[in-house]
Amino acid sequence: MKSSPKLRPCLWDALVVLLVAALAAACALAVWGGHSGSGPLTAVVTVDGAEAERVELDRLKGTAERTYSGGGYTLRVSMEPHGGVRVEEADCPTQDCVHTGTITRAGQSIVCLPARIIIRLEGGPVDKDAPDVVIG
Amino acid sequence: MKRFAAAALAALMAAGLSGCGWQTVDPDEARESIQVIAMDTVMIFTTYGEKSTHADYLSEDEVRRLESLLSRTDSESVVSQLNNAGGLGISVGEEVGGLLAAAEEYSLATGGAFDITIAPVVSAWGFTEEENRVPSQEELDGLLALVGPEHVTLDADAAALTPGTQIDLGGIAKGYASDRVAEILKENNIPRATISLGGNVLAWGDRPDGTPWRVGIQDPQNADRADAYAGMLKLENAFAVTSGGYQRFFEADGRTYHHIIDPATGYPADSGLTSVTVVADCDWDEVDGRPGVGTMCDALSTALFVMGEEKALDFWRSGVYDFDLVLVTEDGRVVVTDGIANEFEASEESGYSYEVVS
Repeated sequence: MKSSPKLRPCLWDALVVLLVAALAAACALAVWGGHSGSGPLTAVVTVDGAEAERVELDRLKGTAERTYSGGGYTLRVSMEPHGGVRVEEADCPTQDCVHTGTITRAGQSIVCLPARIIIRLEGGPVDKDAPDVVIG
Repeated sequence: MKRFAAAALAALMAAGLSGCGWQTVDPDEARESIQVIAMDTVMIFTTYGEKSTHADYLSEDEVRRLESLLSRTDSESVVSQLNNAGGLGISVGEEVGGLLAAAEEYSLATGGAFDITIAPVVSAWGFTEEENRVPSQEELDGLLALVGPEHVTLDADAAALTPGTQIDLGGIAKGYASDRVAEILKENNIPRATISLGGNVLAWGDRPDGTPWRVGIQDPQNADRADAYAGMLKLENAFAVTSGGYQRFFEADGRTYHHIIDPATGYPADSGLTSVTVVADCDWDEVDGRPGVGTMCDALSTALFVMGEEKALDFWRSGVYDFDLVLVTEDGRVVVTDGIANEFEASEESGYSYEVVS
């Protein structure tokens, strides 16, 4: 049987096929890619429960300075490429955030209770010997 | 050619779909972690399983409910109503009544080292309002006259305090919250989780790779270093609670005063310990949302810090409660009870000497 010229595949059909195939491949990659690692080391900053900023540390060109404010207090934070986040200065009464020092790996966080600011590191290389949680 | 392309396309789509399906059913992969500030501390809920997100937010809601019920600084809370009742009896409800009964039990068992009526003394030192000062001995003597479990009268859901007595359930509130969260994890079939409520940790199940959760004990001598540990606990299905004088303190006249007050003296406990970690099993069958092992660990960590090394170990040996201990001493030792010696890993760079006791 001979198909009508209108039904014969043309260049556009091939493009559509290619596009669908590319989309399917991208979907599969996105789904599987999520399992292979935990992503680059990222500082996640929340102020009063709402996420204020995510900073991928590997993308920093040099030491970055940020200020975050909450509850009437302001924190000056420095971030180093490839890890190393610390509160340089804060006008909060307890200064616990400054005393926490430098955090360098996923799971660690700096908390300022008066300002209700949490800076937490996520992602980065997985160290099986590192603690999952710290008490004290 | 067309057949080949169609087959390849179908395979890719099927693979994509199966990938999605696998992601939602594998409990090791569905992980949710939220971090909240409540009860004057930071809390981290990290759960795994299909209902991990649901369980995390239920846990947050529960902690906030408990905060509004138990906070001493919230004038609407049941605890505040009792403190402000001027000695009259009020109905506190079954839940707070149960906590008051648990508090009384731990107070009697520890010879008064744990005591919820120490609240006015803690306030006199300024730890409630963050305006620290050293109170006079006369002031402390007056306040200590109203401290002791005999100043709390409990009759089922009703309670009354001696006029002038004030209670603060902060010494067991986070522990009780961990008991409540354990029930949420159980009801939502959460296979594994780590729950951190300030100095209270619940290690639920094991790690996704089948090994125990690694729980670092903060080094009290280097409290300003986030990666300095006095040791590491390898825990599965366990509660662990740490109390330490380094957590809150102030300096005056060249001396350091911390927030764990000895009910016998009214002064910060000077017992030779810098931190106490209490560890006990979390048996899933016994998790029922009532004050349980989490509450016990919280109360005992404070009490044993006040008691000091010798009395704390005697209390552990007495077998009244089933738990284990990691004590960090001022003179640079870490003392581990033999029940968890195999689950404890020393921190070589810490400089501590390590002892196992039986």
